[in-house]
Amino acid sequence: MLESGTPLAVGSVAGPTCAIKLSLFEGPLDLLLHLIRENEMDVTELPVAQIAGQYIEYLNLMEELQLDVAAEYLVMAATLAWIKSRMLLPPSENDDDEEGLDPRAELIARLLEYERFKEVSEQLGEYTREGRDVFKARVPESASTPEGERELEVSLMTLLDAFRRVLARVPTGPGLHEVEGELVTVYERMLAIMDAIGAEGGSLEFEQLFASDPEARLSRPLVVATFLALLELVRVAALRVYQGLREDGAPEGPIRLRRTEEGAEEWRRRIADDPRVHGVKSQEGV
Amino acid sequence: MERSQQKQIVEALIVAAGEPVSAARLAEIVPALDASDVAGLVAEITRDYEDQGRALEIWEVAGGYQLRTHASVAPYLRLLHRERALRLSRAALETIAIVAYRQPITRAEVEHVRGVEAGPVLKSLVDRKLVRIAGHREVPGRPLVYATTKRFLEVFGLGKLDDLPTLREVEELLPPPDAAAQVTPLELESAEVGESAPSPSELH
Repeated sequence: MLESGTPLAVGSVAGPTCAIKLSLFEGPLDLLLHLIRENEMDVTELPVAQIAGQYIEYLNLMEELQLDVAAEYLVMAATLAWIKSRMLLPPSENDDDEEGLDPRAELIARLLEYERFKEVSEQLGEYTREGRDVFKARVPESASTPEGERELEVSLMTLLDAFRRVLARVPTGPGLHEVEGELVTVYERMLAIMDAIGAEGGSLEFEQLFASDPEARLSRPLVVATFLALLELVRVAALRVYQGLREDGAPEGPIRLRRTEEGAEEWRRRIADDPRVHGVKSQEGV
Repeated sequence: MERSQQKQIVEALIVAAGEPVSAARLAEIVPALDASDVAGLVAEITRDYEDQGRALEIWEVAGGYQLRTHASVAPYLRLLHRERALRLSRAALETIAIVAYRQPITRAEVEHVRGVEAGPVLKSLVDRKLVRIAGHREVPGRPLVYATTKRFLEVFGLGKLDDLPTLREVEELLPPPDAAAQVTPLELESAEVGESAPSPSELH
């Protein structure tokens, strides 16, 4: 409480080196770990009173340097203040659900958890990395269309025939099972198709699309949504549809879907930019 | 078929594939080659490269074999591939580590561990194909879950997810950490991975 209102004497606390370090913090947990280590303390002993003071000094410093203090840092400051106040109270007074619990316990657990991942990510960072330390042999994408399977812009009719065959497999008939609302979106199926193709190394048989997840029943909405998703992916050129050709040039054999490099790239970007996918919030203003 | 000829074909297939090719796939293509013999042939090829002082190595990554340039020439390769140099920030590394060990994992769970917003970092990892969307968690809100990709294994030179360095148990962190203990696990772990790959992973 004392610290929160006190203006920070920048020079006396950490000096200019502090400012350089600031940008290196990956968040409030990281900053806390740093403070604990700097005090040569053990995480499990988390000296809240001491750390909270220093933590708030850092936040003040950030503000002084006109850095944006992200909301997470403020939340942590509040958490520390709360823990500090809890520790001042005599134990087991008015405690129903948290009886005897160290108010620091949850924060300590999070710090330990974060520390593990921080450590292991530092190890991973040291690993020999493809694209940085070693480079794989690269082959032009165009060389990879399999022998004997030239591209055929499969007509919509051919595709529809294949689709009808799959649809015929969908169990129908009245009274077979209770109708339940099933949430299938074309968008979701687009994701699933691109995933399935990715898992198969870039190419997939049409029929496999409908056989790939055995635990999911083939339902009419699912099959229809999958087919629409396929058409949409072809439209945005994320996929191409192929069929083998006989010697005389007549189409033959299973219809195959193949990911195009540019298309897949474009599609990846779409997924990446879609707020529905990542739930990227615009919190900048906070 | 002569062993020397098989070796030639295996080498050619690995060179031409670019992406990691599994032993099973190689055995399927090369006449009279058993999948269990592939490792031996690949080791021979690697040894040849080494004896001849070539700039190439064959690595076992992401469940297959892949031809790569030697780490000693990395600085020059980086000049050639300026645009695709793989730089990962600390935030990216931490996020990918969390996803790798906890997959499938939701964005909120990643955020809980790191204590900061994870959306933008996850997005960039998906962009770079290191992380993929692996579906939904069947809980209210049906949040998307993230998992690592084959490309992730490839980039970090891992054969499979089990080859990730062991995550220290929380209990191990409980005694006061001394400075020496913090250095050793890192060296041990990287050495282990180096051994699992057929080629040395020393950088110098």
